[in-house]
Amino acid sequence: MVAAVQHPNIKLLTYSEVEEVSGYIGNFEVAIRQKARYVDHSICTGCGTCWEKCPTRVNSEYNLGMGIRKAIYISFPQAVPNKPLIDRENCRWFTSGKCGVCKKVCQAGAVDYDQQDELLSVKVGAIVMATGYDLFNWQQAYGEYGYGRFPDVITGLQFERMSNASGPTEGKIIRPSDGAEPKDVVFIKCVGSRDITKGKEYCSRTCCMYTAKHAHQVLEKIPDSRAFIFYMDVRTPGKAYEEFYQRTLHEGANYIRGRVSKIYRSGSKLMVRGADTLLGVPVEVEADLVVLATAMGPAAGSDKIAQKVGFSIDKDGFFQEAHPKLRPMETNTAGVFLAGACQGPKDIPDTVAQASGAAVKVCALLSKSELATDPMISQVNESICSGCLACKAVCPYKAIEEKSISERVGGKAVERTVASVNMGLCQGCGSCTVACLPGALNLKGFTNEQLLAEVDAICL
Amino acid sequence: MKRTGVFICWCGSNIGGVVDIPAALEEVSKFPGVAYATDYKYMCSEPGQEKIINAIKEHKLDRVVVSACSPRLHENTFRKAIQRAGLNPYMLEIANIREHCSWVHQNDKEKATLKAIDLIRRAVAKAGKIEPLYESSISVKKRVLVIGGGIAGMQAALDVAEAGYEVVLVEREGTVGGKMAMLDKTFPTLDCSA
Repeated sequence: MVAAVQHPNIKLLTYSEVEEVSGYIGNFEVAIRQKARYVDHSICTGCGTCWEKCPTRVNSEYNLGMGIRKAIYISFPQAVPNKPLIDRENCRWFTSGKCGVCKKVCQAGAVDYDQQDELLSVKVGAIVMATGYDLFNWQQAYGEYGYGRFPDVITGLQFERMSNASGPTEGKIIRPSDGAEPKDVVFIKCVGSRDITKGKEYCSRTCCMYTAKHAHQVLEKIPDSRAFIFYMDVRTPGKAYEEFYQRTLHEGANYIRGRVSKIYRSGSKLMVRGADTLLGVPVEVEADLVVLATAMGPAAGSDKIAQKVGFSIDKDGFFQEAHPKLRPMETNTAGVFLAGACQGPKDIPDTVAQASGAAVKVCALLSKSELATDPMISQVNESICSGCLACKAVCPYKAIEEKSISERVGGKAVERTVASVNMGLCQGCGSCTVACLPGALNLKGFTNEQLLAEVDAICL
Repeated sequence: MKRTGVFICWCGSNIGGVVDIPAALEEVSKFPGVAYATDYKYMCSEPGQEKIINAIKEHKLDRVVVSACSPRLHENTFRKAIQRAGLNPYMLEIANIREHCSWVHQNDKEKATLKAIDLIRRAVAKAGKIEPLYESSISVKKRVLVIGGGIAGMQAALDVAEAGYEVVLVEREGTVGGKMAMLDKTFPTLDCSA
């Protein structure tokens, strides 16, 4: 992480969002909003006094509701940059105009309540999408698991935060309800994955392995603990993956093939009722903690950013690759590439591989000083263009502009508006040719004359 | 007079196992404008491409119809091949008789053959109207925007930066690291993620 910030060729803009993208391959113009942090990072030393003294305690999003942060905060101790920002929604200064503690205690004088969002404009030749994933919202779909009513039913990502030494419990695995150490931990796989009635049709690809890892961690960290894993299948197709799963099995994890039909409270424990479909018997397991392997879905807001950058998403909301096997790192919009789970569920090795692949695609593009454009684009016959600009309205690539031409009509010069195609932006989709009533637009390689010749050949 | 060459691919048994290619070839040879027609087991293979190149030279073909798989797969392959024979690469028309025909009509070979002939008829008719197209060029700004500062974005940014190009890495949260930094030890090596 630190390497990415320190690299002299990388300009890092955190707390920033892409507002608008225009242009085309080789020549994109991007407007970026850097949100106000209310802390001047050029003078902040990251000493931490401000967040120690801040009186406002807020539920930490980063710890998924299992810890607190202050209103001026860094998300976790190794955050990059290691300098705080103020959460305006919760800061007393912004909500009531009183407080100002952070400003008073900051020796560097870095706190600046008047800081404004900054708008930046950059020109780039290529764009890499790496917006990642979010977890499926299981609380809305799984009534049988308590719709989130039981604090001791958590997601795998919450387990990660607990198990992480810099997390809210400093690496200790506990029951969120009472802080006690759980002895019997039940894991349920495919929560939302491979189940079209509840969530998604697809396999999230990472859960079998991280659940094996979680079970291993429970057995390793908690003496006399037991791990039960309810599964549909165990899928371990990766280098050293099957071996890892076998290791967890040998450590004593109990794999039960079957689904869980109900979780209910029984005293301070949870009862997990399901089926063992290999033995053909119903089973009931008493659990201190239940960990759900929830499905991966596209990151919140990814549909909007796809629209802004100008490429399509697939039926599940992930970014659509140009070809599932041959062009998995490219979109159908020239110059826009894909890396990681934004294209579909992926683990870290696959993500890194795709990211490096996308980087090579970018390098191949940037290594050229000039780029040959696809000649199969629209062209306007200005002599019959009526200037209605119906084409402009339907163009998904914003490739049609207005142009003024001068003509001689009856010996007089007359100005007239016609459509004009930007050859960098036009992707040759042909939408405009359909919208054009006078037939002034033709897609090169698919002209009206050529298409009619085909129709005639078949129909006459 | 236009001189169209038609090249029908068997794609092993993918097309040849369904479409009666000798019958189609005979029919297609009679289409107006077709100066030469032939078939081959794998048109995309090196000998297949050589066959096209030699035929263009020998029969003075000025446009080519390749009747094979989807243009998404090999349109570029065949454009380059005809360019090597001295034609404008866009003097090519593809008739997709695999995805649009043999794969979906495996159970009716007779009708599949008729459909393949019609698909080639269409392509030959269009080929008679195509004209050379020429690429133009645009400049390239040597900088990349990476949207998202998780493991994918950071890896892509570092690789491009190492190659010597400028990178702008945009992250919506206050820190890079994304979901990966939230994880504890990661499989299968159990090393830390941050």
